[in-house]
Amino acid sequence: MWQIIKNEWLYYSRTPWLLGISLGFVAVLFVSIVLGYFQAQKQTVQYTEAKNDLREQWENIDAMNPHGAAHYGTYVFKPSNLLSSLDEGVNSITGNVLRVEGHVQNEIVHSEASQMQSISKFGKLKSSLLLQYIIPILLIFLAFSSISNEKRSGRLKLLVLQGAKPFSLIFAKTLSIWFYGLGLLAVTILAYAFFNLQDLNSEIFSRTVLFFWSYSLYYFIVTGLTVFFSARWQNPTIALTSMLGLWILWTIFLPNVLMSSVEKWHELPSRNEFKADMKEDRSKGLDGHNPSDERTKELKANVLEEYGVDSLSQLPINFDGLVMQEDEEYGNKVWDKHFGNLRSVFAQQKQSYQLGGIVNPFISLQNASMGFSGNDHLHHQEFLVQVEQYRRGFIKTLNDKHAFGGSKTGDWGWKADNDFYKSVPDFEHQPTALALVSTHYIADLLLLMGWTIAVFGLMILGTKKMQVL
Amino acid sequence: MIDIQNANKSFKDTPALQSLNLHVGAGEILGLLGANGAGKSTTINMLLGFLAPDSGSVKINEKDTFKQAREVRQLIGYIPENVNLYPYLSGMENLDYFCRLAGLKYSKAELQEFLSTCGLQSDAHLKKVSDYSKGMRQKVGIAIAYAKKAKVYLLDEPASGLDPLASNDLSVLLKKLANEGAAILMASHDIFRVREVCHRIGILNQGALVKELRSEEVSANELEQLYLKYMTN
Repeated sequence: MWQIIKNEWLYYSRTPWLLGISLGFVAVLFVSIVLGYFQAQKQTVQYTEAKNDLREQWENIDAMNPHGAAHYGTYVFKPSNLLSSLDEGVNSITGNVLRVEGHVQNEIVHSEASQMQSISKFGKLKSSLLLQYIIPILLIFLAFSSISNEKRSGRLKLLVLQGAKPFSLIFAKTLSIWFYGLGLLAVTILAYAFFNLQDLNSEIFSRTVLFFWSYSLYYFIVTGLTVFFSARWQNPTIALTSMLGLWILWTIFLPNVLMSSVEKWHELPSRNEFKADMKEDRSKGLDGHNPSDERTKELKANVLEEYGVDSLSQLPINFDGLVMQEDEEYGNKVWDKHFGNLRSVFAQQKQSYQLGGIVNPFISLQNASMGFSGNDHLHHQEFLVQVEQYRRGFIKTLNDKHAFGGSKTGDWGWKADNDFYKSVPDFEHQPTALALVSTHYIADLLLLMGWTIAVFGLMILGTKKMQVL
Repeated sequence: MIDIQNANKSFKDTPALQSLNLHVGAGEILGLLGANGAGKSTTINMLLGFLAPDSGSVKINEKDTFKQAREVRQLIGYIPENVNLYPYLSGMENLDYFCRLAGLKYSKAELQEFLSTCGLQSDAHLKKVSDYSKGMRQKVGIAIAYAKKAKVYLLDEPASGLDPLASNDLSVLLKKLANEGAAILMASHDIFRVREVCHRIGILNQGALVKELRSEEVSANELEQLYLKYMTN
C-alpha cells in the first residue's frame, strides 16, 4: 500500500500544473493567515487603546454622585480571540462593544459586518473559507478520476495482476490525497503557530489539536467518498458530478434549509415582542425612582425595623441606594428569566442543528471549527454572561456607595470622591476554558467520526463493486 | 499448466466461448489466432481470473483461476496489447514499482538487466515514459512480466507496436522462457509471428476452437490460407 502512496506522491511532485496549484494555494493560505493575524493584532491594539482611554476617563471622574456615575457607565470590549485568524466564526456579525450602565442590560453593538460596505462581504479572504470550501474542492478534483483513470488506461488490470488488492488500491489512493489535504492544513496551522508563538499555551494547543482533528476527519470523508465514487462508477464525469452535487448540497443547500427549519422548530421571540415582555415584567416590580411602589413600601418597613427607627430621615444610611439596588436585583431576575429562556432556545437550536451532522458532515465541521476556535455563539454567550456579571457587581458597588457611603436619604447631591471611582475594578475578560464547553462539541466530533467509519465501510463496498475489466 | 476444459461463457445472450478445450504444458508455447471478437481476450481474461466461465473449468497449475485468483495470479506474467505505464516515471521506475507491488525488490543493476534483455536501449531506462514510443512502452511491459519470473505467460497481441527488430527480440525471449519451463499462451493476429514462435497453433472462431495444429505441420502460407478459410466460414 505504501508503494501506491509513494507513487501517487511522485505524481503530485512531478506534475507541474499540480505543483503550481499547490504552491499557489499554500501562498494564498499563508496570506490569509498573515492578514488574519494583522487584523487580529490591529483589533487588539484598538481595543486596548479604547479600553485604556475609557478606564482613564473613569479614573479621572471628579467627585460625583454614585447614581450619576451608574448612568455615566462604561464600555467593555470583546477581545479578539487568538484563534480568530483560523476561524473568526460568528465574531464578524455578533458585535464587540457593550455599554455597561445602571437599570438596563444593553445589547452588544458594532459588529464588523455592520460597518462593512455590502460589496466587501463577499470578498474577504478568510482561512476558514479556504479550509472549509476550497481545500475540499481541490481534494475532489484530485480524487474523482483516481480509480477510473487506472481502469481506462488498462493499468488497473496490471496493478491487480501484480498483487495490488482492490481495497489497498482504494485506501492508498484515499490516503495519498488525504495526506495532501492534511499537508495544506498543516501549513495553515504551522503558519498560524509561527505568528502566535509567544501566545501559545496548553489551552490554545489543545484547541488547535482538536481543530486539526476535525478538519482531518472531514477531509478523509470528502476524499474517501470521491474515491469510492470513482471506483463505483468508473466514469470520471459521473464521479465528479456526483461529488460536486453532494458538495453543493452539504455546503450551501442543507445548512440554509436546516437553519431555517431549526428557527421554525425552536422559534425565538421577535425583538419587539421580547422587549415588550421584559418591559411588562419590569414594570410589575420596583421602580428605582418611585418609592411609593409596593415593593418599596415593604423594603422600607424592613429597613426601618432593622435599624429600629420610625422614619427614613432617622436612618444612618441612604435608603435611596437600597431601593436602587433592590430595583437592580429585580431587574436582574427579569433579565435572567427572559435571557435564560432565550439562551435555552439558542441551546435547543444548536442541538437540533448539530443533529444535521447526521446527514451533513459539513455542519459538524463548521460547528467544531468555530467551537474549537472559541468564536462560536456559545463562546459569545459566555462573554455576554461575564459582562452581565461584571455589570451587576459594578452597579452594586455604586449603589452600595450611595447607600452606605455617608449620605442620607434624599441627598441626591452627595458625591463620592475620585478615590472611590479609582477603586472600582475594570472588566477583565476570562477566556472560556475548553474544558467548560467541550461537551458541546463532542456530538460534532462523534458525528464526524461516524461519517469516517461509514466512508471506510463504503470503501470496502467499493472494493466489491470495483470492476477491473 | 494451463488447462481449459469445456469452458463456456456468454455475455447476456451472446456466446463468447463455446465448449473450449485448451491445454498448454510447461515449456510449451500456444498461439491463438482469431479475428476480433473470436474469444481470444475472453479466454485470457478467464485465465487471469477476471471472468468466471458459465460452465466448464479453467485452471492453471491445477488451481481454479477465478476462485483461487490471488494464488494463480502470482504465477502469471501478462503482457497486454497496449502497455500503459505511469508517464511521470521512468521506464526503470515503472518496472521497479510494478515489481514491488508483486513483492519483488531488485537492485538498479538487475532492473536495467531486465529492461535490456527485453530490448529497451540503456539510454532510455531513466527517461520518463511520457517520452517513450508505443514500442518502448511495450518493452517495459514485457520486462514487467519477465521480472516476475512467472511460470505462465499470457500475451495479448504482445508484438503490437513493436518494430521488426524488437519483435524478433520478443520471439527470442519467449523461446528462452519456454526453454526455462514456462507455459506461454499468445493471442495474436500475426500469423507469421505465431507460426515462427509457437509450438502449437489454435484457431478460434466465434468462441470455438475450430482448428488446432502443430506449427511444423504447416508453412506460413498454408496457415494463412487455413486461417482465412475458417474466418470466412
